Amino acid sequence: MILSARNLKKTYIDSDQRIEVLKDASLNVEQGDLICITGKSGCGKSTLLHIMGLLDAPDAGKLYLEDQEVTSNSPSAPQIRNQKLGFVFQFHYLIEDLTALENVSLPLMICGESEGKAKSKAQELLSHLGLAQRLNRYPNQLSGGEQQRVSLARALINNPQLVLADEPTGNLDPSHSQEVWNLIKSLNQELNQAFVIVTHDIETAQTADRVYELTDGVLILQ
Amino acid sequence: MDRLERFYLKRYLKKPKRNLFRFSFVFMILGIMLSVGILSAGLNLFQGYETNLKRLLLDSFAHIGIQSSYRNLITEQQREMVFDRLSQRKEIASITPCLESALMAQKGDKIRAINLRAYDISAGFPYARYISAGEIPLQEKEVILGHYLAEELGLSIGDEITLNYPRLDRITPLGIHASQDKYRIAALYRSGFYESDRSLVISNLSDARALLMIPSGYSKIEIRLQDADKAAAWSKEYINILGPELISIPWNLYAESLLHLVAIEKWLIFIVFSFLVLIAGINVISAVTTMIIDRNTEIAVLKSLGATAGVIKRLFAYRIGIIALLSVILGQALGAIVSWAVEKQSFYRLKGEVYFIDTLTADITFFNLVVVFLVASILIFLCIVLPLKRIERMQVIDILRHKQ
Repeated sequence: MILSARNLKKTYIDSDQRIEVLKDASLNVEQGDLICITGKSGCGKSTLLHIMGLLDAPDAGKLYLEDQEVTSNSPSAPQIRNQKLGFVFQFHYLIEDLTALENVSLPLMICGESEGKAKSKAQELLSHLGLAQRLNRYPNQLSGGEQQRVSLARALINNPQLVLADEPTGNLDPSHSQEVWNLIKSLNQELNQAFVIVTHDIETAQTADRVYELTDGVLILQ
Repeated sequence: MDRLERFYLKRYLKKPKRNLFRFSFVFMILGIMLSVGILSAGLNLFQGYETNLKRLLLDSFAHIGIQSSYRNLITEQQREMVFDRLSQRKEIASITPCLESALMAQKGDKIRAINLRAYDISAGFPYARYISAGEIPLQEKEVILGHYLAEELGLSIGDEITLNYPRLDRITPLGIHASQDKYRIAALYRSGFYESDRSLVISNLSDARALLMIPSGYSKIEIRLQDADKAAAWSKEYINILGPELISIPWNLYAESLLHLVAIEKWLIFIVFSFLVLIAGINVISAVTTMIIDRNTEIAVLKSLGATAGVIKRLFAYRIGIIALLSVILGQALGAIVSWAVEKQSFYRLKGEVYFIDTLTADITFFNLVVVFLVASILIFLCIVLPLKRIERMQVIDILRHKQ
């Protein structure tokens, strides 16, 4: 098992009102899984994803990565985020001052790889994702679909065990959305790459191996 | 420095236009440049004043004065003894016997107190470089007059001046009888040391002896050294060499405290002007804070990719640091230009009666350049580092949620 979330609880206080977004949410992710989490806007899908990505801490519950308990506050959390997890956000969040190639090289350089080797690997991956002609373009010189593909490449560059994607197609038009979704599916099948994807697009989510719905803080397998 | 930091640093330097020169940095750059420029110029001018004052003091007076222990005149035999024992010493540049006295100078109804110094000018005159007009050597009944003294008395080359020596021990039935004579002004003396330029009259020994009615002897023997800074040490040695009848007085005894005072004043001004850099540092804090706010998404992304807060802080510190360092260097260049312009200008002169010298000079020393660079860099470094601490507290999810 790659990742196991057990009995996660999370509560927010908004204007003196307690909002319980996660109530004993549990989820297991195996190698090669393609899992989608759906639910209404603001139901806590992203919060769950952030907790699983060690970007946020639950109020209660535990998170295990390769059977080791992990927390977002532990000193090893940055290293785990760098080497074992990959992130794709709704907005691509590419660094504007870096080219596509440099953006994708970043995770490798963070873990100590040389610039040359990092760029070489990034070039290979970007070419595989059909962006060979866009290597030296800055994010504002790329289309929405291309930006998200670069973002996906950045998430995959360190060969993570799990990619966490928060509405990866939420900001794209239908054709680009389909393009990115197809890419995720092919990476899942070809590379046996595990994905946990948060989306509000129920129709697309149905094509995943497992689909969960988060309703009133409870995670239900569909 | 890890590989990511090296990559970013290389990028900043290779593509400065894209990464470094932002409008939000303009006021920071100007603030640092101006404050460092003022600090540098202030230090350069004070250093120039200190150096110039010391040079003029050492050039206008003997480095070591040999005088009689009993306040008598130095006899001819003593003079010969001094020459015999000291003239071959390598550390000595010149030995000049001098007759000195306080007199009155008169032209018409204008009278000034003056200091007469008489030398055997044909045998070597240590102040030749300060002759600003006229010619030497002097003929009989000719004198060299201080520039400001001539100006105050309305005299110029070729005019006559009357020197009075009011001897209190020369009483006649008509009262105290002053010794006086008229002299032609052959040259003007201008060293830049105000007191000398305002009170000095230089004559031949023979003319001075006649006026002062001293047939032989000298007030003192002036010694100039190759290295004036060693005057105190050599002076002690000369006391042993010359015996108990003569005393040796180094320049430090009467002028060093003044130079110390000037040096203290210089560093006090430096400290005061350093506060300007600290004020400019507020602009740096503002620029760093703006950059953190502008680039909070980048910070969040880097954190989500596994970069630690320490690494991210250093990436931002390099960006601002390069610009700040460049601004400090430009500020130092500005300071040098301002110093040069102040030195070359002619509309403002120092008040000689207050500051001893009347010209503004700048002295740019390597030591002062390094001190300004280090002090400015440390102050600005602190102003960069303090706001960057905020990055440690920034939470990725807060930023990303806010963006959505």
